[in-house]
Amino acid sequence: MLNKIFERKGWKLTFILLLPLIIFIISIMLGRYNIGPFDVIRILFSTGLGEGLPDIPNIAQQLILRIRLPRILAALLVGASFGATGTAFQAIFKNPLVDSNILGVTSGAGFGASLAILLLSEQWQIQVSAFIFGLLAVFLAFLGSRLYKSTPILVLTLMGILIGSLFSSLTALLKYVADPLDALPAITFWLLGSLTGITWDNIGVLGVVTIIGVIFFMMIRWRLNILSLGDSEAKTLGINPTSNKVIIIIAATLMTAAAVSVSGVIGWVGLVIPHAGRLLVGPNHKSLLPVSVCLGAAYMMIIDDIARTLLPGEIPLGVLTGLIGVPILIILMRRNRTGW
Amino acid sequence: MTVYLSAQNLSYAYSPGRTVLHDISLSVKAGETLYVLGRNGGGKTTLLSCLAGLLKPGTGSVRINDKNLYNYNGSERAQLIGLIPQMHLPVFAYSVEEMVMMGRTPHLNWMGAPSFEDKRVVEEAMEQVGISELREQPYIEISGGERQLTLIARGLAQQCQVLLMDEPTAHLDLSNQQRVLEIVQQLKLKGLSFIISSHAPNDAFGFADRVLLLNDGWVMDYGSPEDVLTEVMLSSVYGIQAEVVYAHDNGFKVPRAIVSRRPSNVAPESINEPGGFLYKVFEQRLSSPQLLIVTGLSGAGKTTWCSRLAKFAKARGFSVEGVLSPGIFETGKKTGISVESLSTGEAKQLASLRDSENAKLATPRWSFSPEILEWANQTLIQKDSKDLLVIDELGPLEFLQGKGLTAGLDRIDAGQYKVACAVVRSSLLPKALQRWPKAKVIHGSFQ
Repeated sequence: MLNKIFERKGWKLTFILLLPLIIFIISIMLGRYNIGPFDVIRILFSTGLGEGLPDIPNIAQQLILRIRLPRILAALLVGASFGATGTAFQAIFKNPLVDSNILGVTSGAGFGASLAILLLSEQWQIQVSAFIFGLLAVFLAFLGSRLYKSTPILVLTLMGILIGSLFSSLTALLKYVADPLDALPAITFWLLGSLTGITWDNIGVLGVVTIIGVIFFMMIRWRLNILSLGDSEAKTLGINPTSNKVIIIIAATLMTAAAVSVSGVIGWVGLVIPHAGRLLVGPNHKSLLPVSVCLGAAYMMIIDDIARTLLPGEIPLGVLTGLIGVPILIILMRRNRTGW
Repeated sequence: MTVYLSAQNLSYAYSPGRTVLHDISLSVKAGETLYVLGRNGGGKTTLLSCLAGLLKPGTGSVRINDKNLYNYNGSERAQLIGLIPQMHLPVFAYSVEEMVMMGRTPHLNWMGAPSFEDKRVVEEAMEQVGISELREQPYIEISGGERQLTLIARGLAQQCQVLLMDEPTAHLDLSNQQRVLEIVQQLKLKGLSFIISSHAPNDAFGFADRVLLLNDGWVMDYGSPEDVLTEVMLSSVYGIQAEVVYAHDNGFKVPRAIVSRRPSNVAPESINEPGGFLYKVFEQRLSSPQLLIVTGLSGAGKTTWCSRLAKFAKARGFSVEGVLSPGIFETGKKTGISVESLSTGEAKQLASLRDSENAKLATPRWSFSPEILEWANQTLIQKDSKDLLVIDELGPLEFLQGKGLTAGLDRIDAGQYKVACAVVRSSLLPKALQRWPKAKVIHGSFQ
């Protein structure tokens, strides 16, 4: 299958598909503690075998395996997830200006996390609460859209925006009552997005959900073309638009909730990456989807590299994705004037 | 020949009480083209949606290859019937080849992407309709005609047996219309069936084997284009005065085109000129009732035209009856409508500018006096047969609400006149012509 893709778009696709690997290796070398590329590779390959590397300080090995590796993997997974779900949502909503947050999942997760920070304390509790409230928000939007019998996708979008606003207001309420010395900074920082302090324990669910989700979207990527033509054309071509969209929304919501519960609120990635992908390989989801997954993963790793290395302190990811994502989107829109 | 697709007693309602299709039956065989004609909102697109399986009819059934359409699953159905919707553009800039490739979807399994075999079919489909050289072009950037051809190629890639096309030539220039319809004709010879909804009855003469004429969701007629597209039928569906133009082809007289006749400019004086239009009309009144519709925009001079006709007719010794309704003007503004009996010369004020919101008998601008209308109706009820009956005017009240000068409407419907001259504003002319297809239409104006 990959061979066929290479034949069609040549080196460009090959490069894009290899990009996450390249960025991954570069990322793992980056950091305050200087470890040479050769040593990094030796440390990575030694793990499976369990043999000691006496010439490399133990702290370097610990740093690579316990801190950098899970964090960079988390960035990769979160980026891949946003790339895939953003692309799928732009297709099924027939709208190049949406991403998987349109149905309120991020706002729900933000509220869930804030609530957990306020009432509970464990990292995993915050994650679970964010995940559950993320799903709940989309479920409510879906339920709300059923009340109104008209153009379903439009009403669903509207409901998503409404439910999103509702949860944002609730989050604001929690911030208002939160302890300004303790809980409030924690909530604020969570809402800005970060991968600080990610360990192997945190990325298990994210890894499983993202890998299964990406495989699912890879399998149905041709259908995204058909669904993007609109309901009646999809039906004409033998595809049931409603059931397909429901399944896609469920899958994308699970993936986004899993990602956001780990990374906090990170905007723009799911919106910008599919545009970059279309500019590089065109709108056909057969190649666009894998490209968006790879670009998303690479982009997120780069953003996280900048976040942890540019300044002595961490820069919140949500701040960077906005600062970098907005100019990129504007440049892309300028270059890509004749349709998406 | 195999019947590929047939519909029996199909009805469809978008909501209870809003039935848009009534009891429609049709069938299409292999290599046949059926044209569905009718006015805007007549139910053509709904019919195609039902036939394509997008909408499930309330009653009746659609069968394809002798099996109920709804017993096929989505992709089975899509392998039999293709639908080319009315022109709309996708959000994303897919290439022509990708658009055609999407036609392969019903042949793929649920997670499949097109294979090399699919690519070959697509190649062949593009070759057949002659768009191979456009393959890399974005679909949203090619011309309307080329888009239509791309969608036909998509239907071919779908390998369906019946292709439904919703107004394929709308928005196309003459040469692109021809290009699309010629391709349809060629594919039809290869055994593909077409059901085409169209606003171009003329095309039906050249390209249709059969025509289904729809009016408000009812089948007006169904048969060969020559039998269906007659002048009377076209008038009653489209509300135009149509004339079918014939040509001689190998010794046969074949219908070629439908032209719509426009109202003629006639001077009321022509009643006095032997051989003149009105002179002849008054001569013909002895053999059959003659109906003139005087039309024009508000203020064009319709009433003046009629009053002059009445004056000249009286001068020639014809008896005249009926009503005129000249405007009442105050300082250049029309502030009311009066009604004047042509037999007695008596005049009364019929309507005034509407000021109250709850006028019982009203059009958007005027509120009418029910008593005066009753009086006008009395003067219109036939007592003895006069030579000229003038009814000024039959407006929205009469045609849309069934009120107003109903006596006049009834008399024309019943043909109880010798020469009748009815004033109808331009916007209501189609309604009048649907009701009285044989009327002669005159511009009531003065140059």
